Amino acid sequence: MIELRNVSKDFGDVQAVDDISFSVPRGKFCALVGASGCGKSSTLRMINRLTEQSRGDILLDDQAIQDYDPVKLRRRIGYAIQETGLFPHWNVMRNIATVPKLLKWPATRVHQRVEELMHFLHLPVAEFAHKYPGELSGGQAQRVGVARALAADPDILLMDEPFGALDPITRGQLQTMLARLQARLHKTVVLVTHDMDEALRLADHLVVMREGAIVQQGSPLALLQKPANDYVDSLLGGLERGLKQAALTRVRDHMAPLGPTLPAQSRVPDGYTLRQTLSVMLRDHSERVTVVDTNDMPVGELSLRKLVKEAHTREGEAHES
Amino acid sequence: MALMDALPLQSARWRPWQPNPVLLCLAVAMLATLAGLDVVSVAPNRIAAPTGYSLWGATGIPGAALALLLLGAMTGLAAYPGRYRYPALLTVSGLLLALIPFAMMLAAFRLIEPGVAQARLGIGPALWVLLFMLMLCLVELRLRMQLARGWLLLMLLPIVGVWWLCAAFWLDRLALVQEFQARHDAFYRALVEHLALVGIAVTLSTVLGVAIAMLIRRFAAGRTTAFAILNFFQTIPSLALFGLLLAPLAWLSARFDALAAIGVQGIGWTPALIALVAYSLLPMVRNTHVALEAVSPAALDAARGMGMRPAQRFLLVRLPLALPILLEGLRITTVQAIGLTAVAALIGAGGLGTLIFQGLGQSAMSMVLLGALPIIVMAFVADTALGTLAARLRHGDSTRQGDRA
Repeated sequence: MIELRNVSKDFGDVQAVDDISFSVPRGKFCALVGASGCGKSSTLRMINRLTEQSRGDILLDDQAIQDYDPVKLRRRIGYAIQETGLFPHWNVMRNIATVPKLLKWPATRVHQRVEELMHFLHLPVAEFAHKYPGELSGGQAQRVGVARALAADPDILLMDEPFGALDPITRGQLQTMLARLQARLHKTVVLVTHDMDEALRLADHLVVMREGAIVQQGSPLALLQKPANDYVDSLLGGLERGLKQAALTRVRDHMAPLGPTLPAQSRVPDGYTLRQTLSVMLRDHSERVTVVDTNDMPVGELSLRKLVKEAHTREGEAHES
Repeated sequence: MALMDALPLQSARWRPWQPNPVLLCLAVAMLATLAGLDVVSVAPNRIAAPTGYSLWGATGIPGAALALLLLGAMTGLAAYPGRYRYPALLTVSGLLLALIPFAMMLAAFRLIEPGVAQARLGIGPALWVLLFMLMLCLVELRLRMQLARGWLLLMLLPIVGVWWLCAAFWLDRLALVQEFQARHDAFYRALVEHLALVGIAVTLSTVLGVAIAMLIRRFAAGRTTAFAILNFFQTIPSLALFGLLLAPLAWLSARFDALAAIGVQGIGWTPALIALVAYSLLPMVRNTHVALEAVSPAALDAARGMGMRPAQRFLLVRLPLALPILLEGLRITTVQAIGLTAVAALIGAGGLGTLIFQGLGQSAMSMVLLGALPIIVMAFVADTALGTLAARLRHGDSTRQGDRA
């Protein structure tokens, strides 16, 4: 559990972070989103004491981080950055083993852990163990970076634009990998990103920052339904917002029971998002689809009319709350 | 298309004019050198004026014919391309290098009568030029064949062996060999002194240089001043610096008995060592400073974020990443110190310079060579060894990580 209470950070006369508060419960994924220079990286770096806050309290498991030894604190917090920061003179294995070795784990345990992580992050040991960072592609290097951050099995993972420098395809793959990882490991993650789609896709909790202050925070759906101002709205994609919201909603949560009418010709699996379902409707020129389960058995149906009506009522609820 | 492929290409049968310009020029220049300059010289004793002999005069028809044949082959190979052009050229160059001492033996046999005990054979200008050009050939061939530096050295090893064997057993008429035999005790002493001075100076300046570089990093304000002082030392001519140190050191040694007791005096090894260290500091400090600063900030940030303590960050990350550039500084320092130590002989510091200056004083060129050749070899070996080491350590560093920094 990470909690920031009225935290500010000054660099000389410049106030980089201005009185921000948020908390990340254990096992949750929090994304700090904003343009570059908005103070999101500074915020992240205060959590593992790479910079000290000027005012306010940062609590880790209800204990002020100033009470921890900074070196020991950092060793129990995973840290991955955009430039990867891999040590170019160490091979992949030695890089991943950094923190376990600092913690003086026995050699066999370090070896076992490194191989486990490489396997986990789809880095075949035989192929990559003895490669140097210079011989890796951007995506591979970043995977090694994530493996290194996870090496000592920390409860907390801090990531500073980890996929920012990658091409869109590789970025997408690594986001998928990270989502799968989080579903299995349930780390407490704080991710800094300027990519709103990345944040929407991965995070449970979004903190939108601008010029050092928090503009809005909440769950992805809450933000999509009711952006606090035009800035957040534009970050969320303006007119695309409806589709992004649809992309976060599963069709199985919105389908109606099978009615008395004939089932529609178009079929979509119940794991699809509303966005994918809408796409199918547009493609098939059909206002109605049949939702099927993994065995291709119809389990419900969804019509465009119901979808629009429901979105309308949800919007209403969000306005009231 | 398949039919076209099956047809032999015209160029495969008829070789176009595709010379390697470097090697062609070198081969022709070597032919001209042998035709125009003296290969060896014979002197009746150590200081009498020698008489020069051309290749023809020194080795007669067999020697001249063999040289013409080999250099002709070299010219031909350099002019026309072929699959085995470069290996063949390498073989011919090696052969030429290995045959030179035998040519000298033949010359000694033909030109010096056995009865004249004092007569000696000198290496003529043509041979020096030939040696130099053959070295250039090897450099060019190494680049063309993309051989590692080590392979070339490995190839040179048997040739050096042949030279040494000839010099040790059969070339006793060669002035250089006679000079060595006459004063091998002095030679070995000078060699040890030289190595010791260079070794101590380089060690001291490495320790001091790294210390100063780290101080400069801590106290950024002192950087300009420190580099200004070091630059100033570098601009003083070496002889002048030796001279400038003479008075204060003599005074110090007269004033403090303890200093005199450990051998500090106006002339000798003390001023030499101080001057050598002063000269070595600039390249050492500059390279160390650059090396430590050039380490990727991302790697250092990650090191801190991973929970490395300051000492661990320095020893595990900053220093190893800085090492290649740091070694580059060590290489420059060492090669420079090897050369400067020769000058230090003038103020009585000993070393191989003693032989050079004595030889100059007695106008005995072979004695000058006896001092100069080992210095060249030492500088070459130090340069190659440290350069290779730096290149090896760079291995993991040639990365996007490093480039981004």
